[in-house]
Amino acid sequence: MYKYIIRRILVFIPMLFALTIIVFGLAQLAPGDALSGKSLADPNVDPEIYEQQREALGLNDPIYVQYWNWISSAAQGDFGNSLIFNGRSVMELIEARFANTLYLGLFSLAITIIVAIPIGIYSARKPYSMLDYGATGFGFLGLAIPNFFFGLIAIYVFSINLGWFPSQGTLSSPGVSGFDAFTDRIHHMVLPGITLGLAGTATYMRYMRSEVLDVLGSDYIRTAKAKGMSERNVLYKHTLRNALIPIITLMGFEIGVLLSGAVITEQVFQYPGLGTLFLSSVMNRDFPVVMAIALILGILILIGNLIADILYSIVDPRIRYD
Amino acid sequence: MLKKKWLLFFVLMLSVGFVLAACNEDDSSKEKENKTQAEGGDDGASGEPQKGGTITGAMDTAPAGVFNPIFYEESYEANILDFTHESLVSQNKELEFEPHLAKEWEINEDQTEITLKLEEGVKWHDGEEFTADDVVFTYKAMSTPGYIEAGGIRSSEYAERLLGYEEFSKGETDEFEGVVAEDDYTVTFKFTEPNVTILKDVGFSIIPEHIFGEVPIDEMPEHPATLNPGEVIGTGPFKFTEMLEREQYVLEKHADYWKQEPYLDKIVWRVVDQSVMLGLLESEEIDFIADPSGVPAPDYETASGIGHVEIIEQPDFGYQLMGFKINHRKDADVEAGKIEPDNWVPNEDMSEQKVRQAMAYAIDREALVDNLLYGHGSVINAPIAQQFWAYDEGAATKYEFDPEKAKALLDEAGYKDTNDDGFRETPDGKEWVVNLNYPTGNKLREDSAPILEKFLEDVGINIDLRQPKEMTAYQEELEKDNSDWDLYLLGWSLGSGDPDPVGLWNATAPYNYSRWNNEESEKLLKEAVKTPEAFEQEYRAKKYSEWQSVFSEDLPALLLYAQNKIYAHNKRLNGINPMPYSYNNEPENWWVSE
Repeated sequence: MYKYIIRRILVFIPMLFALTIIVFGLAQLAPGDALSGKSLADPNVDPEIYEQQREALGLNDPIYVQYWNWISSAAQGDFGNSLIFNGRSVMELIEARFANTLYLGLFSLAITIIVAIPIGIYSARKPYSMLDYGATGFGFLGLAIPNFFFGLIAIYVFSINLGWFPSQGTLSSPGVSGFDAFTDRIHHMVLPGITLGLAGTATYMRYMRSEVLDVLGSDYIRTAKAKGMSERNVLYKHTLRNALIPIITLMGFEIGVLLSGAVITEQVFQYPGLGTLFLSSVMNRDFPVVMAIALILGILILIGNLIADILYSIVDPRIRYD
Repeated sequence: MLKKKWLLFFVLMLSVGFVLAACNEDDSSKEKENKTQAEGGDDGASGEPQKGGTITGAMDTAPAGVFNPIFYEESYEANILDFTHESLVSQNKELEFEPHLAKEWEINEDQTEITLKLEEGVKWHDGEEFTADDVVFTYKAMSTPGYIEAGGIRSSEYAERLLGYEEFSKGETDEFEGVVAEDDYTVTFKFTEPNVTILKDVGFSIIPEHIFGEVPIDEMPEHPATLNPGEVIGTGPFKFTEMLEREQYVLEKHADYWKQEPYLDKIVWRVVDQSVMLGLLESEEIDFIADPSGVPAPDYETASGIGHVEIIEQPDFGYQLMGFKINHRKDADVEAGKIEPDNWVPNEDMSEQKVRQAMAYAIDREALVDNLLYGHGSVINAPIAQQFWAYDEGAATKYEFDPEKAKALLDEAGYKDTNDDGFRETPDGKEWVVNLNYPTGNKLREDSAPILEKFLEDVGINIDLRQPKEMTAYQEELEKDNSDWDLYLLGWSLGSGDPDPVGLWNATAPYNYSRWNNEESEKLLKEAVKTPEAFEQEYRAKKYSEWQSVFSEDLPALLLYAQNKIYAHNKRLNGINPMPYSYNNEPENWWVSE
């Protein structure tokens, strides 16, 4: 097992290296650079100034020189400074947002699982019941409604009209601390969390339903029932264990998606996370930030897959790695 | 078991109820709105200013986070710095310069020197005294070698004309002669040449020497006093005390403010998505929507329909244009980054003045303003902000919508439809296609492109409406103009300091993307700042008026519209008095009625 994990991690390294080259190459291929957008914003500034800054930042160097400069300092853990956020370090920019995104991602994953799995199981046990139809309908609706639209409706109803939940940001004021800050944070995450988890909930629910149905129809379940095992035991000991395997794979992939795919939700709720930072950095050609985020997301997706593989072996004893 | 069933049912109903509730709530909120409107006769604006209270403003994008006047770049940061920092002079509604931190000044005969007397007893937020040394330090910092490399962009605007700037900024001398402190409260600015924009040049926000004095220039952008709330020190009526990065920025009153103690305790800026801003204004979670975006024109009606909201509308500093690529640069010049009007290659057809004028007559700009901007804007004919003394509506050719005249002009220039395909051909009988390029990013501008295409095709010009490009990519192609571009769309936001259009329309100006080279214009632009005549504003106004007439006749670009700024605030907020260039004016006078 450990050998397997170490081997997997060793394979990561060349993959990440390839990733940096591809992302860097793509970032450089895009026309314009971080300063070209700035110059149009304020015509009172002499464009010569931006030319001097380009020179100082090394943006006029050949690509391979720029790449080398970047990778040699990145290898030492220094991701440099943002080109857009005048002189602010990339790590500092990412740090704050990363925590936000992580909280939101985990929160929405929790909502997803708490809602989706019980409903999925229930609709598999009572297929074609009212609740099953309702859940199926909800599933299609959840997959079909675009995130931003659902987010706006949620804000309109639950925040502006009913005033139950805050609609923007992560905290109600910079002053709150301690336990209050924790509950305040949760309170702020409810709407974006549900919005972000909506499509996931629908997917998980459908998966769960079909998996459980599948397993319930198999021979060993019939055997278990035949030998007089209680309904409850059949469900929890035999059915769920087997039905959960594909869900775990799904979750492994989901980790990367949750961290990177929240751009629109983050925007609507002005929730300062990695997604919006990534998007604005790409738009502004702020490549030190783009590279750092791409690298982090790459690592997380690889780790997510690794965790999924490890969980596999726990849930399914037939699977052994060595 | 029954219990569980109900729980699940409840979860399901809740989710279905979501959508239904959305419809219901819509109606009831409208009712609510109508009701408040009916009652909303009394706006509570009368009465004596009251002390205390917190107000919340909204902006749609978070500031980058560099709270230092000499290093900030965006209007979002300006929304903080406007409250925390001050300059020696300020501008009034007529854009004339008025005393601020400097109470009076004297300018010498040939306008190479200005001596300013500073207000005494002005305190920095940390209690230190504000003196002439701070003024010297601020300008010295902007002239220091390495300032530009550290990310500073203000030197060309404020420091370059100072005496000895060249030598000092290149590190050839340690002596900074440009700004001299005569005593604690007297400071003299010296310029290399007679300076027409002398008051604008001395009007930069002052930063504290006692904080930054020992900080090397390249470390200043990362210094805690640049980045962190509580450590940013200015002389303004409010201190920047707390922040929740990218969400909330809290300003607290500076009780020792030299003019008077501000009425409000706190001003909080919240970063709010544009799409929910009005909703939050209605639910009174935010109190005002101001610069830089304001209320979008299509939402004007909704905003003015909210009973407790008051709207202020004023013209913006800036305009949108459709430019003509009159000349292209040669490949070699583009590569070398040189702008040599003598090497330029005229762009066939677009270099024809009559064609440009015909296009101007073919476009109904009033209709653009009415339909795109819902009437919240104006048609301008000269590229000088209309708020300036230098703007002269009368001098410019109007180009009112007149498709017949457009057709006549095109006929006259030899562009006729010779093969009856509905489109005109060039004078030598070849197919004539004019390409129209535009960037994404500004919704209104994007919407205007197909409308312009339609107008131009109506007079028989075959328009190739190109795929819009994302702004950064667009800007690069616009600038490196060894391409085939004919028409381009662009917008400029202008400064309020001085109306001189030389940076945008002079032949050698990099931003002169039309590559317009007109002798008369060059001459007038030079004359307008020629000393000593130009010390008289009237003389400059006359020259600019002549220049506007040249511009509008030769027409390197058709100015499409100037948008209005639409500000909205809760009526409980009083004392709001925006300047033409900024909403954040004299916030020490803002107060709330309960």
